[in-house]
Amino acid sequence: MSDQDPVTTQQPDPDPEIEVASATDVGETEGGGVDTRATLDRELRAVKDDVLRLGALVEVALERAGRAVYERDPDLADTVRWDDAEVNDLQRRVSNGISVVLATQQPMARDLRELLALYHAAAELERMGDYAVNIAKLAQQLASEPEIPLFSQIPIMERLCRSQLRSAMRALVDVSESDARAVCANDDELDRLYDAVYRGAMDLMQADPSRVPQATHQIFIAHHLERLGDRVTNIGEDVVYLATGQIEDLN
Amino acid sequence: MSIKLAPPVTEPATTPVAIRPASLTSPTAVTPEPADPAEVVFALQDFSCYYGSFRAVREINLEIERNRITAIIGPSGCGKSTLLRSFNRMNDLIPTARVDGRILYHGVDLYADGVDPVEVRRRIGMVFQKPNPFPKSIYDNVAFGPRVAGFRGDLAALVEESLRRAALWDEVKDKLKSPGTSLSGGQQQRLCIARAIAVEPDVILMDEPCSALDPIATLRIEELMKELREKYTIVIVTHNMQQAARASDTTVFLTMGEDRAGYLVESAPTEQLFTRPTNELTEQYITGRFG
Repeated sequence: MSDQDPVTTQQPDPDPEIEVASATDVGETEGGGVDTRATLDRELRAVKDDVLRLGALVEVALERAGRAVYERDPDLADTVRWDDAEVNDLQRRVSNGISVVLATQQPMARDLRELLALYHAAAELERMGDYAVNIAKLAQQLASEPEIPLFSQIPIMERLCRSQLRSAMRALVDVSESDARAVCANDDELDRLYDAVYRGAMDLMQADPSRVPQATHQIFIAHHLERLGDRVTNIGEDVVYLATGQIEDLN
Repeated sequence: MSIKLAPPVTEPATTPVAIRPASLTSPTAVTPEPADPAEVVFALQDFSCYYGSFRAVREINLEIERNRITAIIGPSGCGKSTLLRSFNRMNDLIPTARVDGRILYHGVDLYADGVDPVEVRRRIGMVFQKPNPFPKSIYDNVAFGPRVAGFRGDLAALVEESLRRAALWDEVKDKLKSPGTSLSGGQQQRLCIARAIAVEPDVILMDEPCSALDPIATLRIEELMKELREKYTIVIVTHNMQQAARASDTTVFLTMGEDRAGYLVESAPTEQLFTRPTNELTEQYITGRFG
């Protein structure tokens, strides 16, 4: 063997990663320097971040779709329709990421429930994105028709949907069973508002058949918001499942 | 036993080592720069290995990339360990073993005349299935290789650094004089990793390094491998498919042919191989339908 090479003159450089890892594992009598969950935790976090991003995208889409209705703005509605591709791509990325974690990390118990819940939540969010697109299309319809007053419940429903969505996503991050149950309970209000729009529109159509198209489109908007609210409660049920392991019907 | 204690080589000590000079210093000289992930450490070209007239592995073509963890999986007897042992010429120690085809290590034929197997094994270390510390103190286990190699620097610092990299320092720093065999199985295995690291290898080969360990000690070794990957290239043989899935970047699937020789079926990024393998045999093996 040749004379010892420069290798041996190397200065010890404390590996910061190892130092950090040991700090997270205090109290272990053995293997304190290695975080055995490092890879799984990193991959779970990445999936969760993507689902939160998906929630944020859907919230933006819904806000814009609502504004397109109120302001009779077909261009704004177009952006909702275009941007839905981003929602779909992100949902596919989440599905892919989850299948890789399942295949490679063999998650168990809570980790497994979390991935299943996130998988389902992402699918629900993708569907909510579609409702926002439907509302955007209806905004374009309404904008092409003679204007009639908007049922006052519709903006209330739209805001409530967004706040419900935000609460559900927060409950998902915090794995808060109580917050999730509260989200599910609030859904009754959306159902009530939808009924009010429906009855109001029926009355209007009977009183003035010339307003049937606009009234119908408003019923559809309210219907999509009501359905969107149901999807939010599904995420609430996912959080309850994640927290307790129990599957419940909370809607 | 130690790979560094391989039988004396007949060539004079001055035999030019055919391995390219750059790789000799790479552990120190190259460390600060980001490693090129696509750099090929081993290139196997129609590589076969025989024990006497029996062909154990057949015509393998494969590239092992630098700073990656490559896992070799496959049913028992498919030649995984034979293949792994070919990477640092451990099979030389078996009198009837011979090879055909080539293994290029950084472009140099490992089996060419003039290549010193002892130097090969210093650069390409091995960790075995059963933790095998020397019947010496923890300190001496790690210091042994550098001493044999004539190390003249700060040995204590080298021992500490090696133990730190193996994520064992905190557990043993107060009992370096205790026998290596006094440690738990998982700690012993990390001691063996520290021992392998101490001679500044380029590649670490691992032959079923966790099969004697409990699940938590196993996870520790796997996470440790991922830290070591920053600096070394790791090739691991495992009969535990889940371990390959968890811990590797690339998975190589071997199986046995009708002639009982192992051959390569599929080599792919791990997440791809375990979610959508391209070969039907791989699909059958990883879903438990054969093997």
